[in-house]
Amino acid sequence: MIFNSYTFVAFFIIILILHHLPISWKFKKINLLIASYIFYAAWNPPFILLLWLSTVIDFFVGRALFTQNNPHKKKLLLVISLIGNLGMLCFFKYGTFLLDNFVSVVNLLGMKYHPATPSIILPAGISFYTFTTLCYTIDMYHKRSEPVKSMLDFSLFVTFFPHLVAGPIVRPPQLVPQFETERIASKKQMFDGLLLLSLGLFMKVVLADGMLSSTADTVFNSTDILSALDAWIGVLAFSGQIFLDFAGYSTCAIGVALCLGFVLPQNFNYPYAAIGFSDFWKRWHITLSSWLKDYLYIPLGGNRHGKLRTYYALMLTMLLGGLWHGANWTFVAWGGLHGLYLWIEKYLRDRKTANLHKSTDKLFNAKKDNGLTGFFYALLTFILVNITWVFFRSNTFSKAWQMLISMTGTETDGKALLTTLAIIKVSVIIPIMVITHWFMRNTKVLDVAHQMSWWKLGIAWSTIVLLLIWSQESGNSFIYFQF
Amino acid sequence: MENKSLLKSAILMVIITLCVVLCWEMYLRNLGVNNSYDDGPPLWSHTREKVYQSPSSTVVFIGSSRNKYDLDIATWKKLTGFDAVQLAIEGSCPRPILEDLANDPSFKGKIIIDITEGLFFSNAPPNNEKPIENIKYYHDRTPAQQASFTLNIPLESLFVFLDKDNFSLNAKLDEMEIPSRPGVFMMPIFPWEFNRNTFDRQSAMTKDFVNDPKLCNQVKGVWHFFSEMRKGAPPMPEKELDAIFKSVKIAVDKIKSRGGKVLFVRTPSSGPYYEGENMAFPREKYWNKLLQTTNCPGIHFKDYPVISNFSCPEFSHLSPADAKTFTEHFIEILKNEKGKEFPLSKNQN
Repeated sequence: MIFNSYTFVAFFIIILILHHLPISWKFKKINLLIASYIFYAAWNPPFILLLWLSTVIDFFVGRALFTQNNPHKKKLLLVISLIGNLGMLCFFKYGTFLLDNFVSVVNLLGMKYHPATPSIILPAGISFYTFTTLCYTIDMYHKRSEPVKSMLDFSLFVTFFPHLVAGPIVRPPQLVPQFETERIASKKQMFDGLLLLSLGLFMKVVLADGMLSSTADTVFNSTDILSALDAWIGVLAFSGQIFLDFAGYSTCAIGVALCLGFVLPQNFNYPYAAIGFSDFWKRWHITLSSWLKDYLYIPLGGNRHGKLRTYYALMLTMLLGGLWHGANWTFVAWGGLHGLYLWIEKYLRDRKTANLHKSTDKLFNAKKDNGLTGFFYALLTFILVNITWVFFRSNTFSKAWQMLISMTGTETDGKALLTTLAIIKVSVIIPIMVITHWFMRNTKVLDVAHQMSWWKLGIAWSTIVLLLIWSQESGNSFIYFQF
Repeated sequence: MENKSLLKSAILMVIITLCVVLCWEMYLRNLGVNNSYDDGPPLWSHTREKVYQSPSSTVVFIGSSRNKYDLDIATWKKLTGFDAVQLAIEGSCPRPILEDLANDPSFKGKIIIDITEGLFFSNAPPNNEKPIENIKYYHDRTPAQQASFTLNIPLESLFVFLDKDNFSLNAKLDEMEIPSRPGVFMMPIFPWEFNRNTFDRQSAMTKDFVNDPKLCNQVKGVWHFFSEMRKGAPPMPEKELDAIFKSVKIAVDKIKSRGGKVLFVRTPSSGPYYEGENMAFPREKYWNKLLQTTNCPGIHFKDYPVISNFSCPEFSHLSPADAKTFTEHFIEILKNEKGKEFPLSKNQN
């Protein structure tokens, strides 16, 4: 089920009513759990079995990991959990990709091998709930937190419908304690949640789907060398689309959870106002980047074993982070390019820090304080991030290369593809988005909403809802569902 | 500030939203706009489900827009007692749908295929996009999408402004027709009066459209735009054309082998549009060869005086009144002349 559908509207109204009935907290949690399974099953019912399997295995393995003192048995349990979770992810998400690569290598070696192409359907949200359950068992292994006492709470932690399919990726300490005591949204939470839900749907339906997606699709589906204008507009359109689509989903998820009285972690913090790439990854898909940092970068050594090891850990984290997004080498290249940016940034930062004998933070805070310089760096970061989106959106390296050539403007006979209207839409929306990010970078949307006078907010809110109604976009899936 | 709720803003939002939506709805109704259902993949898929009804009570129609305009479903049901499952799609080639039905072992019914030569004998990807998208949607539909469709119907029945093709934000922006750079394809705009779509997927022009030469000329201009586009295209190689005939024959044979029946129909067009079609797609090379290759019955409007002289308001589709007359005569012809090959009586299968 997707947030931008009539089914969800009906589903959510029923859930809100059930959640406010005078029944015990346990029954309300059971209601939420059943609702979450319905939410998931509405996409493809059989895949609910995978969710159950993952939940049951990790609940019992997690508890055993916490209580087990024998290091060998403990490791064995961890391996079982990793194989269970990652094995499932590998089969469904990377099965075809691995087979294709194996066949390519074998054929390169001169052996003729042409197996039938397997028809594997990717279960929605498998990458997200696998990471949710993985962090639980790893935390149990390290005894970072207490095991969840009840199966009901654990199942709800894994399955809670607002975050289930596309995050935010939650950690047990962020959500499990919220299930322990009764939660009903206060009046403030309810209306804050509804505002966030409206805003998230506006970002997704009106802007991402209605204004930008067709331009991005037209450009990236074209087989021609394009004019620099068309190529850049296409990339900028995708840049806006991917943010508005995914941040729109996260905003909806946080808003929906808030209407039920639960608080989910922030997932985006105006990433296109980031100054540099480490700042970008603190603002873009925050729950994934913090997951990768805690469960991949730090275990790989982080910055505790010298510079070379730090660079290695950084790059490997970004490459695997890229692969997490999709079973294609273009995603690995996307991650690799971000890794390269982070390398360069780290090198420059270290050099400047050494020269100035100042802390990195001070240096960068000074930059941030300088409005125009900061904005210039933010724009530079945004432009470089756009280059990475070329690899992210292109299905093949040849397409990515073709786009990059078009973007340089060296091809004088590049094809004009986009209508003036499409160019105007992107030229209006993207600058507004970047400027909004810049001015909002140190604040939160709800803070701004509460600072506004009630009638100004009412007018702004109704504009959002009216545009949502007027756009009449049908329920397109969110891009991150495929990851 | 901390505990202040946004209740007052929310109430204002609801009031403004309701007022604006109701004003917009009233304005459109005052213009004479009536309900038109979104003819996207959900409605097509809903209709596609009906092909499994008994072959003794159902006929499936596939083709392009002419089928949707020219077949009056109410008249068809009244005179034949058969349900008409309308699967034709505007501006598209029906062959992917024919193949989908042919490859569906559960489908054993009757099909009437409308032939608009320029679309039926086309391999241009844009002409196949919509059918392929609809077929994929039908096969991959999730329970949530089906539920959304069910919830959407009462809303579309209630509000005329819920018409994405004509009154959505993007439709209104497109209507501005901002000029583009030379060589950029711009989809021409159809007036909303040209196509109102019923829940059973019948298209109809409004009375205003039929009576307004300006609106008719606007659509004639669209046909001219597409014919100019095709002018530069090289003719289809013989091999490619033969492959099309072959693929159609294979699909038709599959349906026949399961007891199904197939009939082709060439619905009316008029004026310079018909002349252009006749020149580009000579009857002997296309229509006659199609019937010969597939060994199926066919009804060409020029072969029957009662349906040969319709004048289409914009050269290509019948007005609602003519669609009723055409459907009545079409049924007569089916019963009188094609009854053995394509039985419409319920005890003859």
